[in-house]
Amino acid sequence: MREVTGVPGVVGALIISSDDGLVVAESAMEDLVTANVAALSAALIARATRAAAAVNPSVPTTMQFVAERGAIFAVAGPAPLWLVAVARPDAELGRLRLLLRDFAGALG
Amino acid sequence: MTDVLLPGTIVHPHGLAFLELGERLRQRGQFAAAAAVALAGLGHYPAVADAHDLLGRIRADQGDDAGAVSAWRAALECDPAHIGARKGLAFVAFRARDFPAAERNLEIAAMRAPHDATVLAALDRIRALRPSSIADETPRLADSMTGTLLYDLQGMRLTGGAGDEAAADTLAAEGAGLSRETARAARLLDLGEVRYLAIETPSAMIAMLPVTTETSLILHRPAATPIGRLLAQAEHAAQAARHWLEQMR
Repeated sequence: MREVTGVPGVVGALIISSDDGLVVAESAMEDLVTANVAALSAALIARATRAAAAVNPSVPTTMQFVAERGAIFAVAGPAPLWLVAVARPDAELGRLRLLLRDFAGALG
Repeated sequence: MTDVLLPGTIVHPHGLAFLELGERLRQRGQFAAAAAVALAGLGHYPAVADAHDLLGRIRADQGDDAGAVSAWRAALECDPAHIGARKGLAFVAFRARDFPAAERNLEIAAMRAPHDATVLAALDRIRALRPSSIADETPRLADSMTGTLLYDLQGMRLTGGAGDEAAADTLAAEGAGLSRETARAARLLDLGEVRYLAIETPSAMIAMLPVTTETSLILHRPAATPIGRLLAQAEHAAQAARHWLEQMR
């Protein structure tokens, strides 16, 4: 997780449970309220799953939410765990995406 | 009908042996006889998508593209996920040199059957025929086959689609929930204005982005679509959607 937060622009990395929106593990800057990030990420994942199901029967493996002042990346690990990173918009999003995928695979 | 069965024809357990017979006749080039068999079968089984698909293939072989399209659309009404009908519609579009329509039908087929080698190969061939740039895809919001859907935050579909009407309405309803959730997350985490949310699944790439304060757009493409291209197409479609909304006013 420290490797994830080592990516320039990343302010926090968490392992969350998408079932209940709780933090399982975290490495984040002090001003990041990881409990809020976990709860809201879980809610986004649940909504994304429902939207994806309307398109096809497969479930999301990755979710990328980008807003004006920040971004949340989430990659599915072994259910119900998701690896989540919070980044500033100027972060290296492509590198972060690949790194999270690698680490999510290693969570199993 | 048993007196006209060809040698080796398999009798279908549900009485659908006419499918096998019609296909054999079609392959032999006996199109009139094949069509008669297919139409007779459809008289008994009008809700069987494979029967409409068979008729579509026969009509296409006869050079009756309008008849083929009609049959394949009927197949999709029976079974919105029917791959053969999608491939057929793509074939007719390709023959008419309507490459975007051919590609869209193949993309929908690829989403339903992401490991179907024939679909993926056809998709590769059709893509090779046109320049590969992000601007090459003209957004067609009114076309329900484009995989582009504009909806309001009450979950009402405004235009576009997701392959069939029911799926599009479901996606609009679910999309509205997703749009609201992104707005809530952005507000509570002080992230500012929502730009987009992208979802990757083993068989599809999906992007949601706000168009106006009251509307959002969802694009879905096959899993092989690079995420950068997906987002570029989404932005392109959002611009078209804003123009469409202005015209509606």
